[in-house]
Amino acid sequence: MSGTLPVRLTVNGEPREALAEPRHTLADFLRHGLGLTGTHVGCEHGVCGACTVVVDGEPVRSCLMLAVQADGAEVLTVEGLATDGRLHPVQEAFRERHSFQCGFCTPGFVMTAYAFLRESPEPSRAEIRKALSSNLCRCTGYQSIVDGVELAAEKLRGDGRGSGG
Amino acid sequence: MKPAPFRYHRPETLDETLALLAEIGDDAAVLAGGQSLVPVLALRLASPAHVVDVNRVPGLDVIAANGSLALGALVRQQAACVAQAVRSSQPLLAEALPLVGHRETRGRGTVVGSLAHADPAAELPTVAVALDAEIALASCRGVRTVPAAEFFLAPFMTARAPDELVTEVRFPAWPAGAGHAFLEFARRSHDFALAAVAVLLQLDADGAVAGARLAFAGVGSTPVRADGAEDALHGQPAGEESFRAAAEAAVAVLDPPSDVLASAAYRRHVARVLLIRALRQAAERAREERA
Amino acid sequence: MANVVGSSVERVEDARLLTGRGRFTDDVRLPGTLHAAFLRSIVPHARIRRIDVERARTLPGVSAVFTAADFEGVVQPLDFSAGIPGHTLPTFGPLSGDKARYVGDPLAVVVATSRYVAEDALGLIDVEFEELPHVLTVEDALAVGAPVLFEELGDNLVYDALHEYGDVEAAFAAADRVVTATIAQHRFTSSALETRGAVASYDPESGELLYHSSNKSPHMLRVRLSEHLGLPQHRIRVVTKDVGGAFGGKGAIWREDLAVAAASLLLGRPVKWIEDRSENLTAFGGAREEDLDLEAAVDADGVILGLRVRMRMNHGAYPGMWLTPMFAALVRSTILSALRVRAMSFATTIAATNKNTYISYRGPGASETLARERLLDAVAAELGLDAVEIRRRNLLTRAEQPRVQPNGVTVHRAHARETLEAAVELAGYDELRREQERARAEARLVGIGVATSIQPCPGFPDWWRAVGYRTEPEPARVRLEPDGRLTVVTSEMPTGQGHETTLAQVAADCLGVPFGDVHVVFGDTQTTPFYYFGSGASRASNMGAGAVLRATGTLKRRILELAAHLLEVRADDLELADGAVRARGAPSRQVTLEELARRAYREPDAFPPGAAAGLDALEYYEPEEGSGGWAASTHVCVVEVDGETGVVGIRRYVVVEDCGPLINPAVVAGQIRGGIAQGLGGALLEHAAYDEDGQFLAGTFMTYLLPTALEVPEVEIHHLEIPTDDPVPFRGVGESGAIMAPAVLSAAIEDALRPFGVRVDRLPLTPTRILELIGAIPVESPG
Repeated sequence: MSGTLPVRLTVNGEPREALAEPRHTLADFLRHGLGLTGTHVGCEHGVCGACTVVVDGEPVRSCLMLAVQADGAEVLTVEGLATDGRLHPVQEAFRERHSFQCGFCTPGFVMTAYAFLRESPEPSRAEIRKALSSNLCRCTGYQSIVDGVELAAEKLRGDGRGSGG
Repeated sequence: MKPAPFRYHRPETLDETLALLAEIGDDAAVLAGGQSLVPVLALRLASPAHVVDVNRVPGLDVIAANGSLALGALVRQQAACVAQAVRSSQPLLAEALPLVGHRETRGRGTVVGSLAHADPAAELPTVAVALDAEIALASCRGVRTVPAAEFFLAPFMTARAPDELVTEVRFPAWPAGAGHAFLEFARRSHDFALAAVAVLLQLDADGAVAGARLAFAGVGSTPVRADGAEDALHGQPAGEESFRAAAEAAVAVLDPPSDVLASAAYRRHVARVLLIRALRQAAERAREERA
Repeated sequence: MANVVGSSVERVEDARLLTGRGRFTDDVRLPGTLHAAFLRSIVPHARIRRIDVERARTLPGVSAVFTAADFEGVVQPLDFSAGIPGHTLPTFGPLSGDKARYVGDPLAVVVATSRYVAEDALGLIDVEFEELPHVLTVEDALAVGAPVLFEELGDNLVYDALHEYGDVEAAFAAADRVVTATIAQHRFTSSALETRGAVASYDPESGELLYHSSNKSPHMLRVRLSEHLGLPQHRIRVVTKDVGGAFGGKGAIWREDLAVAAASLLLGRPVKWIEDRSENLTAFGGAREEDLDLEAAVDADGVILGLRVRMRMNHGAYPGMWLTPMFAALVRSTILSALRVRAMSFATTIAATNKNTYISYRGPGASETLARERLLDAVAAELGLDAVEIRRRNLLTRAEQPRVQPNGVTVHRAHARETLEAAVELAGYDELRREQERARAEARLVGIGVATSIQPCPGFPDWWRAVGYRTEPEPARVRLEPDGRLTVVTSEMPTGQGHETTLAQVAADCLGVPFGDVHVVFGDTQTTPFYYFGSGASRASNMGAGAVLRATGTLKRRILELAAHLLEVRADDLELADGAVRARGAPSRQVTLEELARRAYREPDAFPPGAAAGLDALEYYEPEEGSGGWAASTHVCVVEVDGETGVVGIRRYVVVEDCGPLINPAVVAGQIRGGIAQGLGGALLEHAAYDEDGQFLAGTFMTYLLPTALEVPEVEIHHLEIPTDDPVPFRGVGESGAIMAPAVLSAAIEDALRPFGVRVDRLPLTPTRILELIGAIPVESPG
């Protein structure tokens, strides 16, 4: 099989199908095969994290997965986080804390933070920094992103008190 | 940075996989986690005509603990990280696993995949060598086991024949009372190691070294077992003096690379520093185990 | 309704950027698009004997393969010469045909149905190189018998000049002593998360070129495309929507732009090129590779009276659009900072080498701060003075300003001393020194660094004259829409700095409308007024806002005139607030902007003739002589060096800055922190390195190390916001972090290593370098 193969998967809750060559990455498939350009490509060798999506509940670098490997999978991309026009608490928190600037690394960080907070709902600031060290940002110097994840954790826990700092 | 074209195979059984590898293994890459292979393909450092995706093969994702610990080819690094069996029975492996890549790569990357990829700066091959792990290989010709010390031949080259699949890695039972340490130095946390050291240390009732396993990552073309230093430590009181002597002995035989990230002299120096720190830590843990 | 300038209003752009609805260049999808990939040289210097593209051309899916010859007559060669005395430049085309001059030099471009296929085709192109010796350093490039990159020029000397200001001899004669310092900075690069890219779409029917690009100067691009492709400018439209970081380098036209545009011209179809990360790290360009040797004439109190500077810059093989003599001029024009230096001689030598192009990168003149601050520390060390004290003695006070520096640059409203004194207090400097004493007693290598600089944000006209670049007045257009809302059209081109939000804040306050009723438009040459420069040089908060203030000012006058007519009140007695015009003291006498606009546009008889004509105001802004000047900052940092591993831990990082009033504090903080992260990366981690064979060593993110959240510290920021009488009080801040961080980190590390008596005179300060400095390991060949 080196010609195209059908890839059938669920993306953001919807069944999607398109053809892919075996060598097409999941990142390229999402962006060009399915037209979901929210996931970004920053390096194509798995370091920058801009391409991060969630596959079957796991945060994954979509540039390191072949599209054909996602056949049958459930994929969540940044386009799928907001529901009914309302931002996800992670997105809300990032907006409130001015977490991002140019926006290119942003979808990867949003998905990384989303997955991280599901596993670690009460992270310390140091733990947040460690979790975020998997993604590269060139604009912010990261502090505002850490602030955003801290606030997102509070929102998700329903603290509602606002950030302490 | 796109991969060259290849024929894609997705066998559904182990037999199918092995038959495939017998036929096209000479020009094929095995795809499990893909965290190491896909960048290689993207950079066109390798352009195999075939890619054999083994993710659908059943039975390869088993973690079996009965004294020794066996991890099947599809056991993800993250699964191994959180597995109770790993944490409770293999402390050195458990300490190294969270340092491998990032959370986002560990969900797909496999333990066996890291071994099969054989990056000299990777953590898991060094743990395997330190612990005399055994690597199981299967082919149409049968199954065989290769000790870790004989598995890693050169950077990105192992004893796996083209028609073979690495099916599992088995770590021998952890010696009771042994202390451990895994320390790594990288330019940024979670990068490949400029130097890393895996230590297992056994102390006798008088606090002297009864057994030591020391292995380095990042300082040679494969993991480097510091057997000279292990011998030097044997019978010595576990303390600064013997640790320093062992570290000197260990790095004296190293021939680390020099590159844009660090000079050879730096790698040798930091390997020595890490080994001393690791020995201290392992000795303390061994004492705690006794207490 | 409260004013929004001064508050951290949530960004308008975040709504789309956080939900994956940004519009970056690779998101542009035009029907029939073909994809380009460049074949690039794998050798540093060679004659190209033969390029055989036949096998590539016939690969299924390939539309065309172009080499240099194919673009002759289609693309005017690049000639960036600008008549600068002593400046010699070659002429060259988008693709190299006769020689390859650096690893990454573009030799051919494949256009195919996908990038995948295009890369397959690259592998089928045969190139026969006749390798030539190469040069990688300025010294080697200028040595007798050195291989010449452009033989027609005779040698590799790009620029050689001596500038002298004031009586340097007298200053040195009056000196108590001469102190020297050297700093050699390495090559590193901007590495924005979004690489370069373009979609060129030439329509043969209409003769129009639509050009989408990741670029921050769309009008510049349009002019250049027109010049090089022979298309009239009004038939070219450049669209720059969301750009994922520019940091200087993306404000130029690149050879790849011309190749991609020409390909579209020749094929009559859209052609998309998205640079991959390897290309971006290898071939986009390198910045900052310069050495400076300084000699200071110093009086008995440690005041620097005179300066002799020699600077050598490593130009790389091909010129970029922004010229290296200008970068040298940036250094020369800013190095005197707010010091009391009386005279300076500045010698510049720039040489071509077989490396990638020297590019502009956030704070391109940053070497001036690095060199000057190293020199001040050297003076302090010789005189046994503290780092703060030496700066106190050398920095001009407010009372001493304005002062025209020997290089003709006016220093005025430059609050450097104030930031220094505030930093001493806010960082608890004296306590930091006491903590250092205690740490040193425990043999811990703790160091404190202090650096102060002033930055032209946007810079007085005389500073720009000294630099040799005449910026044009900046336009902005503000229109009152028929529904009473505002559209602001700016010629700023945001690439992360938040102009969509900050300029809306300025306009909203000026016209008293809710922030949410202001829409900022940018990035399309069809819509925006002509402005060659685009965004950059930390100008937007003064120039961009200044232009908006002008335009809103004009619009406001017009609105008040119309309202006066409607309300039968004198215009002077009217005010704008809450989206309405009302009489001061009689708020019931009011008309909403919505009603006023609707009537002005739709009921012309309600007003004198021409009423609506003024509701769309285009204005230009340029600071007058003596205004729009300097921002100042002091950075203080505390580091601890692990003497066994050479790892630098940053324990504390404090910034005190004055850029005037802040439009949006969160945006300002983000700019400062982002700049610091880049400066830190440059000083400690990033190295666009070549080996002695001229091979590039840092072509992936495994070898080109960007700082992560674990390498960048928490940064404490304090703003002074000292009021001035400047009509447009906002000043820029975008580059200061990138300029200051290498200087303050170098100082702190040198201070930490003081027990070893080492001088930091070379970057990067990698763990290897630090252990070499303290003698823990032998020195291997310099990187």
